[in-house]
Parts: sequence; structure tokens; C-alpha cells
Amino acid sequence: MARVITITSGKGGVGKTTTTANLGTALAMHGSRVAAIDADIGLRNLDVVMGLENRIVYDLVDVIEGRARLRQALIKDKRLPELYLLPAAQTRDKDAVTAADMINLTNEMRNDFDFILIDCPAGIETGFRNAIAGADEVLIVTTPEVSAVRDADRVVGLVEAAEKGPARLIINRLNQRLVSRGEMLSMDEVVEILAVDPLGVVPEDELIVSTTNRGEAAVFNPASYAGRAYINIARRLNGENIPIMELTEQTTLMDRLFGGLFGRRART
Amino acid sequence: MSLFDDLFRRKPASAQIAKERLLTVLVHDRVKLTPEDLAKLKQELALLIQRYIPSVNPDDIEVSLLREDTSDRLKADVPLRRALD
Repeated sequence: MARVITITSGKGGVGKTTTTANLGTALAMHGSRVAAIDADIGLRNLDVVMGLENRIVYDLVDVIEGRARLRQALIKDKRLPELYLLPAAQTRDKDAVTAADMINLTNEMRNDFDFILIDCPAGIETGFRNAIAGADEVLIVTTPEVSAVRDADRVVGLVEAAEKGPARLIINRLNQRLVSRGEMLSMDEVVEILAVDPLGVVPEDELIVSTTNRGEAAVFNPASYAGRAYINIARRLNGENIPIMELTEQTTLMDRLFGGLFGRRART
Repeated sequence: MSLFDDLFRRKPASAQIAKERLLTVLVHDRVKLTPEDLAKLKQELALLIQRYIPSVNPDDIEVSLLREDTSDRLKADVPLRRALD
């Protein structure tokens, strides 16, 4: 029986889709059967991030409206035989789907997968409500910025109100150099403000740009700090007890000296 | 420059400012109280208190939303004038 996990954030552009693609890929690399559903109807993007945009024939709305069977619409990943994408419709809008549709769809898929990851649209309206309707667990992605943390706080409350909580937190694009200088909120500070358990921290990583340009997951690239962080998060999702590690590779000597004296260490 | 900043910092680093701003804005978001509503609340509270303690100066009253470790709270600080009789 699959665990249905929705990845959400409130604010757009904080890395929900990148997180969904990389966690899905990492889980499938470790032998899980994974389906990634793009719930951002009308603004689909999980397909391009996963590099599967040329293979779409049917989409989520086609399945819900009965024009295609689930098996026809699911796109198999290029590399991993146990990873599938169910793309969003691009020519429809969020009203093409109801919360009940999402619950039925995920229930139909539960027996065939270990994990069903749902990439939620930005915002807190219908698209968000549909995306969490079928979820067993919710992951909230935020960056260490005032606007993203504020929106994450709203979403924490809405997830609790929908009885899908407690959500867990992924802090994305943390720049350890800035944290050490006191110019960026640390993981501990974000966790303290939101009062939500952290599942992991993903460091800011230029390689995300190039892997996304190519439509490849960062978790395939052993040089990617973000990729390694996503692998750790996937293992924690799988129940492994992996401590949130210190991230020292990217820090300079100066940051290390003064990070130790004045600041806090960030972890992945 | 990190060394210079840490040794001769005059103003707080921006992360500290971000944290304080967030804590304030989140309390307001959670209580759904706009700054205008808060000002109105303060005004009405001042009138009410003055009815019972006429010596209280409405301008001295401070009403604020605070976020503390265990709870968020609405705090009213009403300084009383010492009796001079």
C-alpha cells in the first residue's frame, strides 16, 4: 500500500517541483515503486523537470474524465523502471478536478506503488485543497526567506485544519556561507519560527540549474550537494534514521572560524 | 568582509532582522488582526480604562502582539501615575 505524500509550500518558486522530482527519483533509485503526480493543472512543469515532456499522451484530467486508463497515462521514467509520472493537463484549469477525484485517483493507485508523490500548485486555493485531499502526509518546502517562511506558516495551519498534519519541513536553498555571516536564517531559526519538524535541508547548489536544464534529477549527480541532500531526505522518508548532517564542504575557512564562534552550523 | 563585520558590527545582521520581522508578522497573521484594528483596539481600551482610572494617559498605553516561546499573546501595558497626595 502506497504512502501518498503531497509536497506543498504556499509560495511559488521555492522548489516544490524540483523537490518532488528529486525525492521521487531518489526513492525509486533505492528500489521503491514511485508515482509522481503533477497536480498543477494548467501550469504543468513536473514533466519538464523530469525530462519526460516529449512522452505525454494522456494526462491527469484525461484519466479523471475517463478518456484514458491510468496505465495509458502513466509515463515511465527514462532510467528508472519503477518511477512513473502522471502529468497535469496543460489546457485545462484547476476546476477540472475535485478533491473527491484526487482521493479516488490516489486510492486506485495505492496497490501498485510504494510512494505516490503529489506536486502541489502554489497558493492555498482549490488547487492546493485538491492536492492535499488524498494525502497521508504533507511535506512543506520553504526557503530561508521572510516571504517563503510566512507563507509556509499559513500552509502549516491549513494542513492542520484539514487534518493532514503534522506536516514536515524541507528547507531549500540554504546558503551556509550567508548563515555563518548572520545574513540568512538558519535551519534552527526557521524550524523554531514554524514549530514544524524538519525532514531535511537542501543547500543552494548551482548544479540544480544545469541538471534541471537537462531534465535530469540532481540525485543522479554525485557532485551535487543538493542531490545528496535529497537522497538523505528520501532515506528519512523511508524510515531510515539519518541524522541531519553538518554541511561543511561549502564553507570557507573564515566562515568556519566565525561560524563556530558566532553562528550556528547548518545541516543537510 | 566577514571578519570586519563580526568584530565591528554596528547594526544587527540581516538574519536577526528577518527573524524579528517574521515573528511579528506571523502573530498578526495568526490572530488576523490588522494594524488598523490593533490601533482601534488600543483606543477603545484606553477609553474603557480611563472610565475607571481617570488619571491614566491614553498616550502611555501600549498594546502589542507578542510571540513568546510557549504562546502568542496580546499584551497591554498601562502605566499608572503615582499618587502625589
